[in-house]
Amino acid sequence: MLIPSNELLICRDCDAVHRRTTLESHQVAHCIACGAVLARGPRLGIDQLLALTVAAAILFLIANANPVLSIEVAGIRTQANGLTAALSMEHGWVGSAATVLALTTFLVPMTQIALLLWLLSFASVARRAPGCRSVLIALHRLRPWSMTEVLLLGVLVAIVKLSGWVQVVPGVGVWALAGLTVLMTMLSLVDRRDWWSLAESGT
Amino acid sequence: MRYLVRAVELGLLACRTCGLPAPRPASSEARCERCASRLHPRTPRSAEVTGAWLITGMLLYIPANVLPVIHTSGLAGGQDSTILSGVLSFWRAGSWDIAALIFTASIAVPVTKFLALGLLLWTVRRRSVWDMGQRSKLYRLVEIIGYWSMLDVVVVALTSALLQFQTLISAEPRPGIVFFCAVVVTTMIAAMSFDPRLIWDASSGHAR
Repeated sequence: MLIPSNELLICRDCDAVHRRTTLESHQVAHCIACGAVLARGPRLGIDQLLALTVAAAILFLIANANPVLSIEVAGIRTQANGLTAALSMEHGWVGSAATVLALTTFLVPMTQIALLLWLLSFASVARRAPGCRSVLIALHRLRPWSMTEVLLLGVLVAIVKLSGWVQVVPGVGVWALAGLTVLMTMLSLVDRRDWWSLAESGT
Repeated sequence: MRYLVRAVELGLLACRTCGLPAPRPASSEARCERCASRLHPRTPRSAEVTGAWLITGMLLYIPANVLPVIHTSGLAGGQDSTILSGVLSFWRAGSWDIAALIFTASIAVPVTKFLALGLLLWTVRRRSVWDMGQRSKLYRLVEIIGYWSMLDVVVVALTSALLQFQTLISAEPRPGIVFFCAVVVTTMIAAMSFDPRLIWDASSGHAR
């Protein structure tokens, strides 16, 4: 049996079959049985997505090259960001928590941004990126492990927590991190079928 | 009332990785034509794998709460804090908002995940048709809240990184944080291993 694959939508959460309709920008289709999101209308074109990804790459560099907060006690000033915090924990077996932290707040978001840049820079000149399929599978697998927003909330909690004892100064990195969180969320709202269409179209 | 047609009844399935519909394969070696992922009508041994990760997470949750997560020392001497004692000290200091936030991320979220996944596994095993729509929503809740429990790990890491080169006060991570981090990872894997379509399989063929 040959199925026109672009005419059906099968719900990820409950297996209900729906007929696909064209969605306007900002429209979201929900499953009639379980309410899961089936599809999202296209919000952004390839060039806009590429622009967002470049912006995310810049903010990622700023957030990790600068302190997100610093404290001063008795004239001694110390500063940290997500990466230096994870690296400073690296001693003894307590370091295994640091490894998870470094992966989820640094390495995974960095890889996501790099892979998106690869995909989108080829797509913007209407070409299919080499290794497109593996890149899309990698992005699918990485998504749940990307924790930029948790890092941001953690920084805010740390600022409030420490300000009870010492003088805390938020750094440049915290603004970059906030911007990065917004951009990563926008990029995660692209329908996965739109990503996969990049693997099918082009030369 | 709309009649609900499920892919399994049409001899179809959707690829778990890319969502592409495909005819139900005859062999377990079949692969998706778009992304080349293995095609299975249902994730193999989903309930067993989820149960195993869930029990692992629950066992790790005990040392995560009993052992201290951070050691702080200042002029008044040093002290070890567990997650719960950290929440209580914020509460007593008047920072009820931070206390509530850490309580939610570190205690309410993991416990909710244990209860929700336990309930889902139990009802799926009994082939229950009780409120499948709400149980699907419960599964999505577990997926969404999953990683927020890393909050305390982030806070402990930042606090100890900032205070380690200070002289008057200092802070160091303690083993509890490793167990806590392991709870987050194992419960996230548990939630990912669960195939939510199992919830609706008890209903196949029934009109809604």
